[in-house]
Amino acid sequence: MIPTPPIDPSEALYQYAESRLGEGERIMAHFETDLDASLHFHSGLIVLTDQRLMHAEQPRDENIRFKSWKLPLIDDLVLEELGATAVLHLIQGGTLVYEWRTTSGSVREADAFLARFKERQQALRLDPAAVSTTGEEADDDEDDEDPFATKGGVRSNPLLRLLFFAKPWYKLMALGFILTVSATAAALMAPWITMSLVDNVLIPLQSEQDRPHVKHIYRFAVNLGGVAFLTWLLNWGKTFTIARLAERVTSRMRRSTYEHLQKLSLTYFNRKRTGDLISRIGTDTDHISLFISVNLIDFVCDVLMFIGIAGVLVSINPILALAALGPAPIIGWMVGRVRGHLRGGFAAASRAWSQMNNVLSDTIPGVRVVKAFAQEQREVERFRTADQHIFDTNDRVNRTWSFFTPMIELLTDMGLITVWAVGAWSVQRGYITVGVLTGFVLYISRLYGRVESMSRFFASAQRAATAAHRVFEILDVEPDMPSNDGSHKVGRLKGEIEFRDVKFRHGARQVIKGVSLTIAPGEMIGLVGASGAGKTTLVNLACRFFDVSEGSILMDGVDLRELDVEDYRRNLGLVLQEPYLFYGTIAENIAYGKPRATKAEILAAAKAAHAHNFILKLADGYDSMVGERGQQLSGGERQRISIARALLIDPAILILDEATSSVDTETEREIQAALDALTNGRTTIAIAHRLGTLRKANRLVVMDDGKISEIGTHEQLMKSSGTYARLHAAMLEVTHV
Amino acid sequence: MSTAMINFTLEPDASGGLVFINSAGVRHEKARPVRLFPFTDSNAWISIVSAEGKELFTVEQLASLPDAQQKVLREALAGREFVPVIRSIDNVSRAANGYNWSVTTDRGPTVFLIEGDESIQQLGDFRLVVVDDRNTRYLIPNVNALDKKSRQRLERYY
Repeated sequence: MIPTPPIDPSEALYQYAESRLGEGERIMAHFETDLDASLHFHSGLIVLTDQRLMHAEQPRDENIRFKSWKLPLIDDLVLEELGATAVLHLIQGGTLVYEWRTTSGSVREADAFLARFKERQQALRLDPAAVSTTGEEADDDEDDEDPFATKGGVRSNPLLRLLFFAKPWYKLMALGFILTVSATAAALMAPWITMSLVDNVLIPLQSEQDRPHVKHIYRFAVNLGGVAFLTWLLNWGKTFTIARLAERVTSRMRRSTYEHLQKLSLTYFNRKRTGDLISRIGTDTDHISLFISVNLIDFVCDVLMFIGIAGVLVSINPILALAALGPAPIIGWMVGRVRGHLRGGFAAASRAWSQMNNVLSDTIPGVRVVKAFAQEQREVERFRTADQHIFDTNDRVNRTWSFFTPMIELLTDMGLITVWAVGAWSVQRGYITVGVLTGFVLYISRLYGRVESMSRFFASAQRAATAAHRVFEILDVEPDMPSNDGSHKVGRLKGEIEFRDVKFRHGARQVIKGVSLTIAPGEMIGLVGASGAGKTTLVNLACRFFDVSEGSILMDGVDLRELDVEDYRRNLGLVLQEPYLFYGTIAENIAYGKPRATKAEILAAAKAAHAHNFILKLADGYDSMVGERGQQLSGGERQRISIARALLIDPAILILDEATSSVDTETEREIQAALDALTNGRTTIAIAHRLGTLRKANRLVVMDDGKISEIGTHEQLMKSSGTYARLHAAMLEVTHV
Repeated sequence: MSTAMINFTLEPDASGGLVFINSAGVRHEKARPVRLFPFTDSNAWISIVSAEGKELFTVEQLASLPDAQQKVLREALAGREFVPVIRSIDNVSRAANGYNWSVTTDRGPTVFLIEGDESIQQLGDFRLVVVDDRNTRYLIPNVNALDKKSRQRLERYY
């Protein structure tokens, strides 16, 4: 069912590199280059093992070229960006011994590769004995998995992977299977009974030779009724059991996919579209559920019935059986042909649905902008295009389909005619009785009645496989931010933050270009600078939403990467420009970071955040619903709720990202009072465009193009008449106009 | 805020409001009580708010007040509050812009219009608040305590 994937050149190289591994040597990381020295597209592979750095490439029509260097002999690997390309230098014995070129799109992977390389070299330096021994290292087993393993997982049949999700319910699965087999067997009994009914009762009855046969009719009627009843009972049990199983499996899929999503970093969410993710977790899992509970079970029944009927027919009369089953292979062949057509069609349809969801999730929340710019017509047009796309893809599928179904019916009819013809001939010759022929026709029509649904199975299997694949795609994304990287539990931090030559690259762009800064416990730092100077990125690094590319961030002297993330974030209070309120009551929103907070704590936080007074005036007080569907609150009110939320968890470190930017000056004054309560005695990093907001800051840090350009108090910075003085002057100009 | 030191006096005033007299003897006329958690904890956390909208005092537990004060406060609350408790849902029918609900409440039978799913809010596990088109709130304290017919009617729309 799975197409053989085209051999990826880099995979061939990877397999080659694997074949060159020494005894006990393990691959730790790999990096694909896509250019050669003369900057022509050409794939190559650099592989890091625990012993060596290897390089494999395959020039056109030649054998694979392979080189390797022992790790301890390598001085350094240096990555340099040259516009749209980058170069990786290998330095050994103080001189450049090799260099690789790659397009700058892969700089991120190169960085990751370099990080692994440096880690390994560090490990070897600390423990030279590890070189060329087969010893295992305790610190890295999980991340060391073959990087292709996940890709391989994606390629493996997604329907088989569903079995893994069904594993916990194997008993239910077994019960479902037993019920299915018995239900099918019961369904096969009726024609058998009919056969002897015709031969032993009806025909003698017609020839009026033997009156007493009438009594038997009642017996047959009771038997047939009993079989029908039994079949109904078994089918009921079967359907319910399988539907139950399907719901459990898909519910587990939904849950683990959502759980997995929560583990992924912000980078992933920035890249993905909300509508697409929603439709994967919602619609796609529903397709799978329907497939298991309806299509799969029907198919299994049909196959069992086919085997059963074929067995019965052959045992009665092989020649007639052959005639009856003749069209089956033709139908099988046709099904195979159609399947190919449908496969692409369903994938396209699934994508089209995602696209439509994206349009919806884009424009419904943004409806104010749409109306304000009078672009309703354009959005309607955009929706129409997306809908047309669905229409077209479905049309394509239907075209194949509409031909296919009647074609199968035709073949079925041909099969039946053959049975009648061959049957009549056999009866005339006395090879079989009329009863046997009746039984045959009953069996065959039962069989061919299912052929159509059997062939439909492949379409639905294809659709389910596509759906499963889309769900597994999410599950196969390796969390690029391991949630429990470091195991160091910090408890409550004092709040000292040190940025030590921090660099950060976002895609090909270097956003933070070497920032060093120490913030004392309880100190308030104001972060200012033009948009795009890297302020928010720096703060995101401190929150560990991303990991630094180079350098390190230390909290109370411990590297952030060594800390348990969840434990660390408990020390963190975050107030954003756009306060996000969840659907729920105000009390629930305030207690978001500490769900077990008492009502007294919630009230205290709200009072400190100057939120109590406006909450008091709401009809439902703290039980008022807010969030997407709830009560309308003003920007300042929402902000004060989010400040109360931060206050309630009593964080050691506070991050204010433009907390007052989206409100008017009057509201800002109110929020400012709330913020003062919040910042008091906590290490605070505040980003603000309105420099007045930062009057309480102990120091102002001015950022410019990813670097710190100035540090000092307001007065000092004004005197030095640098960037800050310029920003200040510009701001005054704006506010005075 | 501790209830251990209750040193204020509440008196009813003519218009159904309260007169709040604090420990220093200052009188606040036309004060009103506000339940801070009207649905999730209605007998605790009651705020006494002055006519200007300023909070004068927060009563943590109604039951901790001296009986006389409690009575005054309860009466003032009862006079201001109108949250009928739905005992049964007798009929739900489609209307042009929502659904007409005929219900029996602790304050007698009534008919109201709700506009859609978002008019039914879930607070806690089984407690529902139904908000009608005139912004009156109806409380269903426990969905499971409704009779079977009512629950079936509710299930169709919630």
